[in-house]
Amino acid sequence: MTQTAPTGTDGAAVRLTGLRKSFGDVQAVAGVDLHIAAGEVVALLGPNGAGKSTTVDMLLGLSTPDAGEVRIFGRAPRKAIGDGLVGAMLQDAALLDDATVAESVALVAALHRKPMPVADALAAAGVADLAARRCSKLSGGQKQRVRFAMALVADPDLLVLDEPTVAMDVETRRDFWQTMHKTRRTVLFATHYLDEAEQFADRVVLMREGRVIADGSVADIRAHVTGRRLTAVVDAPDAARLAALPGVTDVDVRGNTITLGCADSDLAVRALLADPTARDIEITAMSLEDAFLALTTEGATR
Amino acid sequence: MNAQYLLLECRRIMRSGRFLIFSMVMPAVLFVLLVGMYGGNGSTYEDGSSVAAAMMVSMGAFGAMSAALSTGARVAVERGNGWQRQLRLTPMSPASYLYTKLIVAMLVAVPSIALVSVLGATVEGVSLSAGGWVMATAGLWLGAIPFAALGLLIGLSIPADSLPSVMGLSSMVLGMLGGMWIPAQIAPDWLSAIMKATPSYWFTQLGQSALYDNKNLLTAIAVLAAYTIVAGLLSARRFVTSAQRA
Repeated sequence: MTQTAPTGTDGAAVRLTGLRKSFGDVQAVAGVDLHIAAGEVVALLGPNGAGKSTTVDMLLGLSTPDAGEVRIFGRAPRKAIGDGLVGAMLQDAALLDDATVAESVALVAALHRKPMPVADALAAAGVADLAARRCSKLSGGQKQRVRFAMALVADPDLLVLDEPTVAMDVETRRDFWQTMHKTRRTVLFATHYLDEAEQFADRVVLMREGRVIADGSVADIRAHVTGRRLTAVVDAPDAARLAALPGVTDVDVRGNTITLGCADSDLAVRALLADPTARDIEITAMSLEDAFLALTTEGATR
Repeated sequence: MNAQYLLLECRRIMRSGRFLIFSMVMPAVLFVLLVGMYGGNGSTYEDGSSVAAAMMVSMGAFGAMSAALSTGARVAVERGNGWQRQLRLTPMSPASYLYTKLIVAMLVAVPSIALVSVLGATVEGVSLSAGGWVMATAGLWLGAIPFAALGLLIGLSIPADSLPSVMGLSSMVLGMLGGMWIPAQIAPDWLSAIMKATPSYWFTQLGQSALYDNKNLLTAIAVLAAYTIVAGLLSARRFVTSAQRA
């Protein structure tokens, strides 16, 4: 595939600057800055209401930011879409019930100036065998794949996918991501699934309450929540004393079992062993899920 | 404007059987029924004009109006289910989308006029001058433009689930007030004032120009043009605002 990756003046595929959007009193997006280089696969992760979909909408020019600027390959969103640089799959964008799969994809192709052959898009999205079927007769996962074919048929340089694998079963999800990786484009996808971000993204952007709260590789994000988790069994644990141990950042006590969040687990384990009852010690790396939970709930209960 | 999009839209309309029956078959059936009841055997009004011819024009107008109105209003469904958002992700301009919908609405208005006219000329023995036939077909068809625009405006303004009731009601009210069902001449003064504010009244006037030298023809054209422009502009405005997520 020959992609003439058009680049903006700064070489960025996507550049969001100071993006803000409010709906009434609710600030959905409260100042987002994001820079995605051409060729990156970026996961936009966050709980419901974090502002992911609103950000995606503004990125695609479907809604106008209250403040800030969107640039896709150096162009305004509408211009980038007009130039056929963007393919997108939205959560709430429907298919036509009374049109067939092939008709729907062919229509999107016809509206673009340099689409890929419809058959190629159908095959790539794994829906070639459904071509003649009415869209009303598709399962949820099949619909998602048809929408993916519609995003792909434009032969875009940037793919924007909002919750692309929702309604897909495990196997379909795996196939989907395999297809995705073969396309070699810049991809921004919003997702709830941590494992998806972990396995398929070069980079994870974490959003909460309309802001980007972490941005980096999966390893970076993990490190963001200090290192390791230590569990042990201690007779008559004293939470206050445990919290005071060096290297410990948080303490959870359930009966005799303690769980310590550790910035420096080496220091913590040495100090803990001063207690002769300490046993069954396990030290594990924080999972992305731990990092995600820590980051997205941090301060939310203040 | 994209030809393939227009083609797909036409195919989709053809697949909707119920829709075709309402816009095409119903006016024709009503025409035959009404003539059977009031206008058989070449009966005439007091002024000597043919009852069948008047009913042909009225039912042709009613069919064209309902077809254009309800086709335009189908955009409500596409707004509700997110298809419009999908189309916004393509290079097609919002104007092309609206124009395509208007053209489809106008195409759907053709069969009802054609069927009623053919029935009029063959079964019901309506005879008109060449100019009369042009006015009763092409004139009526062009006169349906404001209703396509009004349909679009309604479709962009109401939620999809209230579409059938709103459409049924507007066709009926516009048909009655437009004098398509009952001649406007027998209406009392207060009612006739209301009727003259509706586009359907002037649409009927346009149709009647096929039967006799109607001095209201120019007014009718002007009023229908004004409705087209206003409904068109309001639709364009609605379309831009409805794209923003609430």
